[in-house]
Amino acid sequence: MLTWNSRVRIKAAVLLLVGLTASAFAKNPRQPRAPQAKAAAEKSKAAAPAGEKQPLSTRVVAYQIQAALDTREHKIKASETLTYKNLTGQPQQNFPFHLYLNAFQPQSTFMTEVRLYGTRGTGAESGWDPKHFGSITVTKLQVDGMGDLTNKMQFIQPDDHNTEDRTVFQAALPKPIPPGASVVFHMDFDDILPEVVERTGYKRDFYMVGQWFPKVGVWWKNQWNCHQFHATTEFFADFGTFDVNLIVPQSEIVGAGGDLVGSTNNPDGTKTLTFHSEDVHDFSWTASPHYTVVEDSWTGSTGTVKIHLLMSPGHMRSAPRYLHALKGTLAYYDQYVGPYPYDRITVVDPPHGALDAGGMEYPTLITAGTAWFMPRGLLAPEGVVEHEFGHQYWYAMVATNEFEEAWLDEGINSYLEVKVMDALYGKQTSILNFPFAQAGESQEQRTSYLSVPDFDPLTRFAWQFEGSNSYGGVTYGKTATVLLTLEKFLGEDKMREVMHQYFLRYRFTHPTGEDFLKTIQDVSGQDLHSYFDQAVSGTNILDYEIDDAHSDRVKWYEITRTGPKLYRTYVTVHRKGDFVFPVDVKITFDDKSSVLEHWDGRDRWIRYTYERPAQVASAEVDPDRKVWLDRNFFNNGRSIDGDDRAVHKLMNIWVFANEWISQLFAWIT
Amino acid sequence: MLHLTLDSTGPAPEPPRAFFAGAGLVWTRQRILWWIFVVNLILAFLGMHQVAHWLGGNVLNHSLESSRRLVHGFDITALAELGLLPENPLRGMGSMSVIPSFLFTLFMLFMTGGILVAYYDDLRLDAAGFFEACGRHFWRFVRLLIYFLIALIPIAILASLAGKIYNNIDEAAVSPYSAPIFTAVAAIFLLFLLMSVRLWFDMAQVISMAKDERKMYRMLGRSASLVWHNFGSLFWLYLRISVIGWVLFGAGLYIWMIRLRPENTPAAFLIGQIMIVFWLGTRLWQRAAETAWYKQYRLAYYAPVPMPPPAPVAPGEIPKAEILPETD
Repeated sequence: MLTWNSRVRIKAAVLLLVGLTASAFAKNPRQPRAPQAKAAAEKSKAAAPAGEKQPLSTRVVAYQIQAALDTREHKIKASETLTYKNLTGQPQQNFPFHLYLNAFQPQSTFMTEVRLYGTRGTGAESGWDPKHFGSITVTKLQVDGMGDLTNKMQFIQPDDHNTEDRTVFQAALPKPIPPGASVVFHMDFDDILPEVVERTGYKRDFYMVGQWFPKVGVWWKNQWNCHQFHATTEFFADFGTFDVNLIVPQSEIVGAGGDLVGSTNNPDGTKTLTFHSEDVHDFSWTASPHYTVVEDSWTGSTGTVKIHLLMSPGHMRSAPRYLHALKGTLAYYDQYVGPYPYDRITVVDPPHGALDAGGMEYPTLITAGTAWFMPRGLLAPEGVVEHEFGHQYWYAMVATNEFEEAWLDEGINSYLEVKVMDALYGKQTSILNFPFAQAGESQEQRTSYLSVPDFDPLTRFAWQFEGSNSYGGVTYGKTATVLLTLEKFLGEDKMREVMHQYFLRYRFTHPTGEDFLKTIQDVSGQDLHSYFDQAVSGTNILDYEIDDAHSDRVKWYEITRTGPKLYRTYVTVHRKGDFVFPVDVKITFDDKSSVLEHWDGRDRWIRYTYERPAQVASAEVDPDRKVWLDRNFFNNGRSIDGDDRAVHKLMNIWVFANEWISQLFAWIT
Repeated sequence: MLHLTLDSTGPAPEPPRAFFAGAGLVWTRQRILWWIFVVNLILAFLGMHQVAHWLGGNVLNHSLESSRRLVHGFDITALAELGLLPENPLRGMGSMSVIPSFLFTLFMLFMTGGILVAYYDDLRLDAAGFFEACGRHFWRFVRLLIYFLIALIPIAILASLAGKIYNNIDEAAVSPYSAPIFTAVAAIFLLFLLMSVRLWFDMAQVISMAKDERKMYRMLGRSASLVWHNFGSLFWLYLRISVIGWVLFGAGLYIWMIRLRPENTPAAFLIGQIMIVFWLGTRLWQRAAETAWYKQYRLAYYAPVPMPPPAPVAPGEIPKAEILPETD
């Protein structure tokens, strides 16, 4: 594999060859007429000296797409050529394809599940609004050497047998494709974009176009993996190259998950933009005439990354906040996990009313989210940019199966989110930082887990969770909390090495949960099966409490009150939950001395007894706050001298609010 | 001999100086303010007491965690964690806060008659007189409350309409500011309507009290006419006091939330209660100012007018007395 700097030089040579001089995001770039997608791809290949440029990934697919956006009808008319290389090791005759946009129809599995338990941005039992209708229709399917197979397309429903669901179709070829050979599919398809829903669609004249083309499934674990689109699932695809021609009105400012290698204005008022991307597994794009483009860059251990920030009207005040978070995240990942190998990252700021398009990741393109009024103490813009950029590692490069093992991308990413946000904005203030209220990432992740602690294990398929709350709380919050606990157990340096090794071993592949857990055990050198069985595969709850802590005079029966007194102190620790985990117990006495005990937690309870000339002042399980999985931190520590300031504080607020609300009510009299 | 004018719903002949008079009334009759405040505080405290007692005794008072996360700072996630515990120590807080609010509203409905009489009369009322006034006006004001709720219906419809317009603007406008600007304008307009309606009913209560009138719909008519003809001075009176209340409230919030050390619970309690007293005080100030305004208004209309000395009466003629009905 070549170094990243070499890739940059090669890319620069390509750009020079095609004569690009203007900004990739200029509103009316004055570039020479761009070649068609196929020609661009050939040029790109030709520019690289033979033998010098090696792909970062095993390129299974090569997509060439030509798409025209109709901004009046919010439709896309497109054609796609997919070259699929059969690396499955066996002949393949049936090829499944995703048609994600068909999820946005009332009878789809997606909508059925939304009606059951909701999804991001949509509550359960929400009514069907026709403006959210979306569809993708393949009007023609041809395969090189096999002719027109349009009639051979068949919708399949591998997950729930809902025959109304049309998010996956299968193409049965007349003859199998031998191992090592390639097959070329030609498809014409029409998209009807929904008004923004579930990450994609339009809002007024803003477009976020994701999961918009027929995408072939993944041969994985010796079978095709091509799940229907569900309310809680995301995506899974093979690595390859994308050469995409987009025809849009000339007024549009376009951003995409690829390098702009050509742009030309057409006589009909449109322009054709040609994008090329490689070693990625998806391609998305956005268009709006109202973007303000902010260009920046960041230089890390392997070179410079160009940052394209597409800001929507009224949001420019958030641009510096996005950039600070993005650069901080790039730097942290560069040092903590590994190098970012792409030379670009595009951040899309959706306009107001289109937040459903925000907070989403695609290879080299992420969508953020803010509002015209965003207090500095509310670190939502920072958090979303950090999280979505993290997905460039845990999804875009380490491309796990988001349908079946969502915890591997969302969960690991949430764990790193805690690390990055805490490092950038403070442990106690990385979510909320006001003088009167604060919140930190680690506690927020843990709280989201606590809301649904025992419904589902991490390992459940995403669409089989009890509901979207359980999916979110467990996949994001519990995984982050499990890994935070593990980090405290192994040590931060060891955990850093784990993440680094996992990334290096599995980038540009499709690892499984087993791969991740094996990496942890390999790097740590510890047998962690017991922990994984409970925390990853199980739903046990971890809760330790100080059940009792008190001191009694040893010679309690003596009346004398003079001279030194000897006390017998009892501290009882109780394991309330079924999760067994070793913990420390710290007992502090009123002469400031203390004792640190270590309990393996196997029994239900343990009692420590001491005889010394001092009484117990406090007792605490897990005094260094290592066990983040503990469900209740409030019962971990017990002080003999009570401190009623917390309850007084809560009462203050509550009484005040109650008095004031009472007076507001009384205003009607 | 006094000569009384008839048209008492017309504009006042000169602007009454009710603003300071109202403040003076609240100050000189402080007992009203303090009694209401104490009832307000006790009801809120009783609503909270059981939950707080349980929360302190079983969860927070001996917990090292509460000191770390709730005393030195205010970690919102700690509150969330409390709510997510299986024991749910925060349970009942919502329902327990509704009951005190309802009781306080009833209490204020009962007290309003006494308050208005106390502010209207030149002499201080004793407790018996005060509560007698409360009782005398209670059912009248209950009827007025029903009319008031009916009067709020159009405003609620307007608010709902504004919400729909907001959604339409938000959907259509490229600028994110359009809908919030509309919301701000709509909110100011709705607030203006609300204050105007409240002013109308406040004055109906004052007139009803002053004239000891039982027929509330008639009072509403007279009040509407009075407010209509004197809207500028009355609304300005009401608005000025409201603004003072909001500013004081905002200043209190700023000190509490921004300036005060998080662990200084006693000072926080003190500031919170001062804010409550001020909020209550400004409402009573509005009541007192409206009462003073009406009193000055009546005096202005019913002021003695010097009359020419009577003409000598011829022997045998008896002058007829002219009795003019009060129609204000």
